[in-house]
Amino acid sequence: MKGTSTFSKILFCALSVVMLPFALTTSFAQDAVPNLYWAPENVTVGGRQIDVLLNVIFWLTFAVFVATQVVYIYYLIKYRRRPGVKAHYSHGNNFLEIIWTSIPTVIFLVLAIVSNRVWFDIHSDPPVDALKVNISSYQYGWDMRYAGADGQLGRIDVDQISLENKFGLDKADEAAADDFTAMELVIPANRPVHIYLNARDVIHSFYVPQFRLYQDAVPGRTITWVWFEVIRPGNFELACSQLCGVGHYNMKAPIRVLPPEEFDKWYAEKSQAALEAKAGPPGVTPTVAVLAEAPSSPESQANP
Amino acid sequence: MSATTTEVIPHDPSHDHPKEGFIRKYLWTYDHKMIGLQYLWTALFFLFLGGGLALLVRYQLAWPNTPVPLIGWMLPATVAADGAIIPGGYNMLVTMHATVMVFFVVMPLLIGAFGNYLIPLQIGAGDMAFPLLNELSYWLYVVSGFVLLAAFVVPGGAPGTGWTAYAPLSAEAAYNGTRIGQSLWGIAIFINGLSSIAGATNYITTIVNMRCPGMSMFRMPLTVWSLFITAILLVLAVPVLSAAAAMLFADLNLGTSFFKPAGGGQPLLWQHLFWFFGHPEVYIMILPAMGLASEIISTFSRKPIFGYKAMVWAMIAIGFLGFVVWGHHMFVSGMNLTLSAAFSISTMFIAVPSAIKTFNWMGTVWRGSIEFTTAMCFALAFVSMFVIGGLSGIFMASTPVDLFVHHTYFIVAHIHYVLFGGSLFAVFGGIYFWFPKMFGRMLDETLGKVHFFVTFVFFNLAFFPMHNLGLGGMMRRISDPPIYEHLRQLQPLNQLSTIGAIGLGFATFIFVWNMVKSLAKAPDAPANPWHSNTLEWTVPSPPGHGNFPTTPRVFHGAYEYSVPGMDKDYLPQTEEAPAHVRLDSH
Repeated sequence: MKGTSTFSKILFCALSVVMLPFALTTSFAQDAVPNLYWAPENVTVGGRQIDVLLNVIFWLTFAVFVATQVVYIYYLIKYRRRPGVKAHYSHGNNFLEIIWTSIPTVIFLVLAIVSNRVWFDIHSDPPVDALKVNISSYQYGWDMRYAGADGQLGRIDVDQISLENKFGLDKADEAAADDFTAMELVIPANRPVHIYLNARDVIHSFYVPQFRLYQDAVPGRTITWVWFEVIRPGNFELACSQLCGVGHYNMKAPIRVLPPEEFDKWYAEKSQAALEAKAGPPGVTPTVAVLAEAPSSPESQANP
Repeated sequence: MSATTTEVIPHDPSHDHPKEGFIRKYLWTYDHKMIGLQYLWTALFFLFLGGGLALLVRYQLAWPNTPVPLIGWMLPATVAADGAIIPGGYNMLVTMHATVMVFFVVMPLLIGAFGNYLIPLQIGAGDMAFPLLNELSYWLYVVSGFVLLAAFVVPGGAPGTGWTAYAPLSAEAAYNGTRIGQSLWGIAIFINGLSSIAGATNYITTIVNMRCPGMSMFRMPLTVWSLFITAILLVLAVPVLSAAAAMLFADLNLGTSFFKPAGGGQPLLWQHLFWFFGHPEVYIMILPAMGLASEIISTFSRKPIFGYKAMVWAMIAIGFLGFVVWGHHMFVSGMNLTLSAAFSISTMFIAVPSAIKTFNWMGTVWRGSIEFTTAMCFALAFVSMFVIGGLSGIFMASTPVDLFVHHTYFIVAHIHYVLFGGSLFAVFGGIYFWFPKMFGRMLDETLGKVHFFVTFVFFNLAFFPMHNLGLGGMMRRISDPPIYEHLRQLQPLNQLSTIGAIGLGFATFIFVWNMVKSLAKAPDAPANPWHSNTLEWTVPSPPGHGNFPTTPRVFHGAYEYSVPGMDKDYLPQTEEAPAHVRLDSH
């Protein structure tokens, strides 16, 4: 992230300045705040590949932009109307047409192939030791569900969804017994995290710019291919980036990335509490108490 | 392959018609030129409306939750409270701005106004093939506009689901809270679709059947080619949207479940239908702009368009490929990942014809004799802005990068560089170019230059920072960015962008002033003020009823400028080349 991107940042500035002298105004603002012109720091393994590609495309498009504009503006100045000078009579040149058709074709083809490799790499099967988290989105918030001590997310039964049982955990399923939920996304650093993404009412989306990750959550389905590995602890925000109604602008949840040991401790405590609550008086659910709207559309059968 | 033309009126066309009443002349006319102007004025009205909505959006983003100066008190209760825009109201403004701009400004300007005005004139026809249908499609457009605007005053207010109206948010009143507004949106889109389909049918029929003798397909001006291909795209794409809008209406009001998972429907079906229309739509809104720009650039470079046939084939390629790239709007929608990869490849390929066109425009100015009229400035700027819009598209076409920039302000920047820097710049250029023909009066060049320069500067000031906002992680359609930790620091960019937008809005008043000033003076435009070659310049400005006194005959293509061995540097299509001169085109 350091070397190339700082340079790109400068270049992007330069682009702004070259293109629009008045963009200088913002250059002053840049002294005060970091990352005004470029992306926030990337913190995932997959994000590194995306940043490489982002930089490659930036450089490529920047070069093409500068090259075409320099030639273009040079022509505009050189061939401005002057008395006694007649324009050259030419209807074109087939050789040139072939050149400027085939070169972009090759570049775009290579770009598409490289892109799709990264795409499938990011979306390869999640490692078996990945932490499983079920994220359920609703108007306007997020619920997280963890697998508990057994590492297995319990089965979901849409008919059992209620205000207390927001995920519709199947009480008959053993694996569901120690599942616990949270209002924030707590995950370990340096360990893959596998997301099972649901939406309870309309389409929402999981977006964390520092993770370089966006995925829509579609009601009636569970998206199972999102996984990532965060490389350092820190606090982030989960944002909904798909217009989902009046409260969309504020549909966010905190993300806490903990050092592995700290995370294990948190996880063990929560799992234990969930089991105890389960063993305790009936009717008490292992949920962090929240005020949520009753889900009005069915969940799909998620049985990971 | 010459074609026949309709009957033309044999005597001087400017005096043939008995005096018409106001209604028959301006409101219910069968004259394609007046219908074109009806579209022009109506769409310009909507341009100001859509621009006003955009300024409200920009104001909220720069200074969230503060009362809007001057006009805050006028906003309906569904949009603002105590003059400050509320989140739900913000969603409505965003939705209505985009819907108005796409369906009621850019399409009617390019296709309704220029399409109507130019097609018969440039192919040597007396009128459109179906004049009644033509006027009908204009009024359908007006009706659909009123239906859409009515959404602001109905209970619940205007729709707030974005111009893309993703289901099930749009399909379930319990989720969007604006059943009536959203239904009106669906009805408006449906009626607007009828208008587009009727217009497109008319254009295709006219172009295929009514070209004057000698006007073979490959002698047609690129404007006509671009509108021809656009019309074909419209006929194929718009019915899909109309069907989707009808299904949405049924979901909202009749208890069906096309898009509602609760009833067994499929939310992604809406997206597939919408974008199957939506992506050809992007080209529907840029192809005619390319046509206008080509015309202007060739005329003021005094050079034949470089690679005429390459230009035509590039547009045809865009037309075909435009139908197999819709999935690139849905890389991260939950669609099958392999499908995303396939759409990524077709999307990369569709960039090729756009690149070809750009290189050909550069080839056209190369060794030209360039005159920087206002029209030319807008057309030249169109090329540069289109290059920026095209290049930024590559970021999104690359699937992994899309994971990061999808649904951020990066794409907002991208579409505005294409739709404003592209389409609207070409429209402005087109108006400066054809205004003399339309109204018989020249526009003021000095005011025009001021308009151009101010527009160019403020346009870039408004939209370039949006790239940075997007890379900084700013989501689309959120009414209060500083709520997010990572967006707080980007607020200066939001304010800069808003200042640019305000300047851009005011720049348009220079343009209006120029038009008003020009229309107030006595007619002064010659038949061919720019020494251009196409057929509309062979008749008086403005042309009379029936366009041509006698059916014109065409001898060569539309771009014979600076032919060696000739005294004048242009050769209208109706003039045969002198015997000693050899033309490179046919």
